Amino acid sequence: MTSLPRPTRRDALRLGAGGSALGALALTAGCGSEPAAGDARALRIAQKSEPTGLDPHLESGLDGMNVLINIFDTLTMRDSSNELVPRLATSWEAVDEHRWRFHLREGVTFHNGESFDAASVKFSIERLIDPATESTIIELRAVDHVEIVDEHTVDIVMADPDPVIPEKVSLFGGVMLPPGYLEDVGDEEFAAQPVGTGPFRFVSWRKAQLLRLEANAEHWNGRPAFDELHFTAMPNPASALAGIQSDVVDMVSALDPEAALQLEGYKDVALDKYPGIRMYFVVLDTEHEILRDERVRRALNHAVDVPLLIEAVLNDSGREAATIVPQEAFGYVPDIPPPERDPDLARELLAEAGHADGIELRFTSSNKEQLVCEALAGMLGDVGVTLDLELLEPGTFAERLESDDPSSLGSMYLTGSTGWTLDGGATLQSYIRSDRRRSRIRSDHADALMDTIEQTIDPDTRLEALQEMQQWLHDEAPFLFLYQADLDFATNGEITWEPNVNGTLAMETAR
Amino acid sequence: MSTSPAPSPSSAPSAETSTATTSPTSPAPSSRRHLLRAALTRLLSSLGVLWAAVTVVFVLSRASGDPVAQLLPENANPEQVAQMQATLGLDRPLIVQYLDFLGGLVRLDLGDSLLYREPVTSLIAERIPATALLAAAALLITVVVAFLAGSIAAMRRGTGVDRTVMGAVLVGQSTPAFWVGILLVLLFGVQLRVLPAAGYGTLAHLVLPATTLAIFSVAVVARLLRSSLIEVMGQDHVRTARAKGAGEVRVLLGHSLRNASMPVITVLGLELGALLGGAILTEQIFNWPGIGRLTIDAISFRDFPLVQGTVVLFAVTFIVVNLLVDLSYAIIDPRVRTEA
Repeated sequence: MTSLPRPTRRDALRLGAGGSALGALALTAGCGSEPAAGDARALRIAQKSEPTGLDPHLESGLDGMNVLINIFDTLTMRDSSNELVPRLATSWEAVDEHRWRFHLREGVTFHNGESFDAASVKFSIERLIDPATESTIIELRAVDHVEIVDEHTVDIVMADPDPVIPEKVSLFGGVMLPPGYLEDVGDEEFAAQPVGTGPFRFVSWRKAQLLRLEANAEHWNGRPAFDELHFTAMPNPASALAGIQSDVVDMVSALDPEAALQLEGYKDVALDKYPGIRMYFVVLDTEHEILRDERVRRALNHAVDVPLLIEAVLNDSGREAATIVPQEAFGYVPDIPPPERDPDLARELLAEAGHADGIELRFTSSNKEQLVCEALAGMLGDVGVTLDLELLEPGTFAERLESDDPSSLGSMYLTGSTGWTLDGGATLQSYIRSDRRRSRIRSDHADALMDTIEQTIDPDTRLEALQEMQQWLHDEAPFLFLYQADLDFATNGEITWEPNVNGTLAMETAR
Repeated sequence: MSTSPAPSPSSAPSAETSTATTSPTSPAPSSRRHLLRAALTRLLSSLGVLWAAVTVVFVLSRASGDPVAQLLPENANPEQVAQMQATLGLDRPLIVQYLDFLGGLVRLDLGDSLLYREPVTSLIAERIPATALLAAAALLITVVVAFLAGSIAAMRRGTGVDRTVMGAVLVGQSTPAFWVGILLVLLFGVQLRVLPAAGYGTLAHLVLPATTLAIFSVAVVARLLRSSLIEVMGQDHVRTARAKGAGEVRVLLGHSLRNASMPVITVLGLELGALLGGAILTEQIFNWPGIGRLTIDAISFRDFPLVQGTVVLFAVTFIVVNLLVDLSYAIIDPRVRTEA
């Protein structure tokens, strides 16, 4: 007699779901069919947090920006293939080192009927950089002022050269505000009833509950397919998952890999995985008495099997990295290979550096990355590197990360960094130059390269510097290179939409 | 922060659980003046407690880190950090910030939230209704279920009914609320789809979070009531009632429950505090737009003014509840009332 296959836990759950669905059906059968809640087609989105406010100049968090980017248009934009494309600016060019010229789209109006023109750009950018605004958006710090050339042309005039201005006005710094409306109602009322040129208009916001937007039929790029967007903050991944399974929301953004794993195999839940731009790496203190030796740093890189880490811990939600520059960024060098994952080689290098008996290092991270840290500790332990692992509450970790005291994070720390401008310099800038607080590198050569990357307008020169920098990183190994995380979305399977690599929830193209 | 000392069910609960100067077992010999003075002393000591609580929070929150580190993006340079600190007033000496905070407190001005850039008082006011509703519903469930369970168990002491009820209650007391919450969501929200898994607005939304929140309190109160009832039911006046032929239900309702309620009221007051603490977790699980979620946001962003504001709220609630508990003795127990 052949034995039946043993039922798995998932089968049991499905069986339970089937049975209880019948029960629920019986319960609701008596109630008659309820009319749909209005004919409007709403897209209900859950993310971890909601905006802290609706003034786009005061919002530097991505979750807040995910809402605001639907109300406000930016000068430029990243499309779903990550190209920088026109938005409210139709074209742009560097006039000289201190001047970026933007040609503006004509016939665009704000939600209140006010028309968008050069004066709106001047007002918006100068409001952002005005210290009185107290903006936490710092990307436009090199801008001095804006000059109106004609009604549909502006010059952004720089105090210091910045080659990445067109990229930087594709998100946070690039939103366009209506000067007339702001003058009429003031900052506070503007933040309560924001008006932009975007594909959706603001309707209402009940804090910690629901933020509603409606389609802007007059949008210059056409009316969006969805009639309404609903944003809800669901900080707890378990309730977000329950939300999608119980049809409280249609889409959950930015799922943790382990949360995504729980959803696999459920009916009516689709898991969508897209390449993301967030880089994860371990910063090694190159001044530390042991890590000062480049052989030790290379040994650490050889000891960690990143493909295995991605498979086992991240549920395949990531791509192995050979650098801290994301693959989609300007200046990424594809032909530098990731360090060979070879524990024997690691042991050899450690012995060569005089540490045949093993070493001990203090390793700090946010407790959000606990699983990754434990995997790292295991793999490094195999070659004789004992980690004194310190997992910190995220707020405490962030505070130490910005602290003036580099020793507060020990000899190495794990970090994640999102360079949303998609420029190779974005991640590098906080971790390489010796005067940056997150940097644990003291190298004149690297500093000089960073200056070229940060201040040269000419793309070819920058590209060269970026390439040289990545080669230097490969040789010197001041980091333990890990991975570039994917973006995990869960939907009810009825939504067609594709994010760019930043994962921003611009829902204009959702169907 | 929550305090719920689980009363030992075997020891006879006494009025010692009250911190009041007006103890019901030793009514003051004199007068209204005495009561008034006691109330005043009580009020002053409450203010002292409040001051201590906010001072501890002030010190601890500042020791825990710099909010600017989280407000500004990673590529901010030191000048921008310094500028933001100056804007937020965080560069001033700690003692100045502290006195400023205390001064504001007196005027009921808790400052502006660093994260939301709105007055702390209005942020808190927005969230109070949701939390109050949740706590009230949980308290109602606690009172109804715990009184039923405790009375049944006491009347059927030592039987299978008693053991079953108290066993169920013990399970409730030893199960973490977040776990119960997740189970309830999975069962009623995801599988059966009869109740909303998250959200706020209708009575249906209230059922799961209030139940989750009430489970621990139900257990504590039911066990206490059972032992308290058992003690009272052995007293002379109850024996007399029985001797006169009163039935068990009449003995319970007419002669025992009122007396047995005294210690329960004290614990209910403490439980209300525990409910507020528990709301932080429950609100997180059920996406409930109350003070609990606001507090978590405030703590994780090192939003000092907002953390201080929520702590003031919690402290004031505790203090007020304690006062109300003491007052309620006078209403329930005639021995306290007669002296006034």
